[in-house]
Amino acid sequence: MNYTILVCCGTGCIASGSLSVVEALQNEINSQGANAEVLKQIKKTGCNGFCENGPIVKIMPGGISYYKVKPKDAKAIIAQLGDEPVEALLYRDKGKAVLTQKENPFYAPQVKVALRNIGEIDPCSLDDYLARGGYDALKKAINMPPNDIIAEVEASGLRGRGGAGFPTGRKWRTAAGYDNYPKYVVCNGDEGDPGAFMDRSILEGDPHTVLEGMAICALAIGANEGYLYIRDEYGLALKHVEKAICDAEAAGFLGSNIFGSGKGLNLSVVRGGGAFVCGESTALMASIEGRVGEPRAKYIRSVQRGLWNMPTVLNNVETLANIPVIINNGGKNFASLGTEKSAGTKVFALVGKVKRTGLVEVPMGCSLRHLIYDIGGGIIGGRPFKAVQTGGPSGGCIPADMLNLPVDFDTLTSYGAMMGSGGMIIMDDRSCMVEVARYYVNFLAGESCGKCTPCREGLRQMLAILTDICEGRGKEGDVELLEEISETVLDSSLCALGKSAPNPVITTIKYFRGEYDAHIKEKKCPAGVCTAITGFEIDAAKCTGCTLCKKSCPVSAISGTAKSAHEINKNICISCGACREACRFEAIKTVQKGGLANAD
Amino acid sequence: MLIKIDGKECGCKHGEFILEVAKRNGIEIPNLCHHEGLPGQGCCRVCIVEVEINGWRNIVTACVYPLERECEVFTNSPRVIKQRAMVLALLHSLAPGSSEVSELCEKYNVPSYRRFVKKNDTKCILCGLCAKACESLGTGAISTVNRGTGKAVTTPYGEPSYECVGCASCAKVCPTGAIMVEEGAGSRKIWGKKIPLLKCKKCGEPAGTYMELRRAAEKLGEGMPELCEACRKKEIAEKLASIYGY
Ligand SMILES: Cc1cc2nc3c(=O)[nH]c(=O)nc-3n(C[C@H](O)[C@H](O)[C@H](O)COP(=O)(O)O)c2cc1C
Ligand code: SF4
Ligand code: SF4
Ligand code: FES
Ligand code: FES
Repeated sequence: MNYTILVCCGTGCIASGSLSVVEALQNEINSQGANAEVLKQIKKTGCNGFCENGPIVKIMPGGISYYKVKPKDAKAIIAQLGDEPVEALLYRDKGKAVLTQKENPFYAPQVKVALRNIGEIDPCSLDDYLARGGYDALKKAINMPPNDIIAEVEASGLRGRGGAGFPTGRKWRTAAGYDNYPKYVVCNGDEGDPGAFMDRSILEGDPHTVLEGMAICALAIGANEGYLYIRDEYGLALKHVEKAICDAEAAGFLGSNIFGSGKGLNLSVVRGGGAFVCGESTALMASIEGRVGEPRAKYIRSVQRGLWNMPTVLNNVETLANIPVIINNGGKNFASLGTEKSAGTKVFALVGKVKRTGLVEVPMGCSLRHLIYDIGGGIIGGRPFKAVQTGGPSGGCIPADMLNLPVDFDTLTSYGAMMGSGGMIIMDDRSCMVEVARYYVNFLAGESCGKCTPCREGLRQMLAILTDICEGRGKEGDVELLEEISETVLDSSLCALGKSAPNPVITTIKYFRGEYDAHIKEKKCPAGVCTAITGFEIDAAKCTGCTLCKKSCPVSAISGTAKSAHEINKNICISCGACREACRFEAIKTVQKGGLANAD
Repeated sequence: MLIKIDGKECGCKHGEFILEVAKRNGIEIPNLCHHEGLPGQGCCRVCIVEVEINGWRNIVTACVYPLERECEVFTNSPRVIKQRAMVLALLHSLAPGSSEVSELCEKYNVPSYRRFVKKNDTKCILCGLCAKACESLGTGAISTVNRGTGKAVTTPYGEPSYECVGCASCAKVCPTGAIMVEEGAGSRKIWGKKIPLLKCKKCGEPAGTYMELRRAAEKLGEGMPELCEACRKKEIAEKLASIYGY
């Protein structure tokens, strides 16, 4: 038997020690001695998307997957190859051990298109990529008239995965229509949304796919030069992409003479400084040109006048990762997944209060419920689900009664949220929606380029008002004023950052107005989050005296002895809520600062 | 090409900006960050107007919106009035000391938002024209720094700039007179730096700062000028007069 041991070496698993697992496994293979019948080979793969359970080790063939593997587990793993699985390292779903990813509730419902190779191949090996049909699409495209390539992408219905959802085929066709040269193809790997890591994971785990997508785009529009704009913090992604470019050039898949056709594409990597606004198309291009990363008015679009004023196609990493599949299997085939207007799949970063967090790829149009409950396993501790924030910092919050909404570009937008890059933050009943709005406005006020008045000054005033509300200084009329400012910021800002920045405020007002009113009129935070107006009290009837709260309190405000009711000293308590999180008996209730009990 | 602005037919060239066409036709669109010599800022958003093309209406900024097809422009539609008022109110809170902004607020009936946090009596509206002027002269003594609400215009580290030649071009383009220039007897003080002024050999008036004149002379490949701008022009006129004998 010929075994391959796939060890996840994405950024997440490396952080939890997968490199020492690789070393330990290798040592075990060496020391347990060579067996002519059993060949063992270790491969370092990209992110499996389930980082909280890393390091992940997968045995091929068979696909038995081990989680939270430690170097000391190497001995058992190697010794039991092809034998009984190492029970203790298997994933457990409701107590039952799960052998492979196919049976794992986190993976089973997923459909991997953009992520098809990640976790299966060594991203640094061109041969691995080729073995899975890599560069077949490019080879095919070389012999296709540009118009046919574009027609295939149009037929696929692919829409940009970077946020705006613009039809990729239409973008390519427009760029192909201009006859001024040189033209450029650019990959947007800035990924500035906090908490998002889908693009990083693709660049790290399957860099050739992105290069192949770019090369196909270059053939379609007639570009010979391209850039990958990748944020500087993405060390591993940068390393893997740079190696992939070298390898692909050496093999003649990139460079001046692709597959000996005489057509060429030279790719370079540009490191982004990490400002959120640099992901915006015009700011990104300014940054590549060496200017300050600030957006410009887009009345003339960048497909016409982009990099150095030449026709430019800018596509997101995930968008490009879908291209080879479309060329290989046909646009129609791709369009059979997803919905009519949102074809294909989308990768989401599922984070927050769900039991299983990570990167998931599902066909568009699946319901929020499916994502949160089937894949995510529901809310931690069985608490009530309150809202999901989709689309990154300027996305919106969708409330619990809309769980059945299908996740696609147009539905999310029509409810005030958006697809964005695919961030999905799940919140339970202990999230304050006013504080959530304040948090995002604060982020955007700091990350806006600060060039235009509505965005910079509008967000400054909104932040001041939201902070007042959270700290008990809200005034009658504040909500209406927030709405009024929002309207101007949306309508008259220069770039899409401002044009979407009020979304978190607008949606929380729309779906959680009562919470704003409680803060403003009654000076209380129903979720018990806003520390300035929240206090905590222990319900002596429910308290079992387990002492957990006392141990969790960072300022020792809780007194009480084991098995008797505990008490919080209001003068010491800083309202951090750590005790409430620790208590298993719902004995800690939020009260208004000062001691008045909350009505609910 | 013909377009309509507030119902009036206006001729324009392909690619011309709305603001220019409006101005030529006597239609007033308020603006702050637009400067003919330094076009393309497009950041104050005071000049917003509504443009209708094929039934689609959009808010655009008149100073940077290029006219590429027939359309109708509205400079005072309800939507423009509303959004412009908010933009002006926001600017007023940013630069309560600016009379230009206050006057616009008055002119366009902007209500006062007492809830807004006001900055201390400053005049700067952060349009960046000054930095652009300085950069376009090749000096680059001042620049906009930081992102978001932390944005500011300053010399490096807020110290008197080594690069600054004291030409005061920044102050000349500033729409709100926010840059302090102190003209003393023999020197000019700007951005915290005191720079000696040279006197005109003819009339005795200041001809400019020493550094500014030297920089200009170097660029032109000439020697240091000895006359002020006015006297130099007069001298040229006199020379021409003597050549052509009028
Ligand atoms: C503030 C802001 C940040 C953005 N950040 C990103 C980003 O990090 N990555 C990305 O691909 N697109 C980002 N976008 C969207 C891009 O402007 C652009 O629409 C996209 O890269 C186009 O590629 P696509 O059509 O393949 O999605 C951002 C847009 C805005 C307004
Ligand atoms: S954690 Fe809850 S049950 Fe335990 S002592 Fe504190 S209040 Fe009582
Ligand atoms: S000082 Fe004047 S020119 Fe410079 S940014 Fe401020 S308002 Fe604009
Ligand atoms: S890095 Fe291993 S699962 Fe994400
Ligand atoms: S004058 Fe047009 S945006 Fe300032």
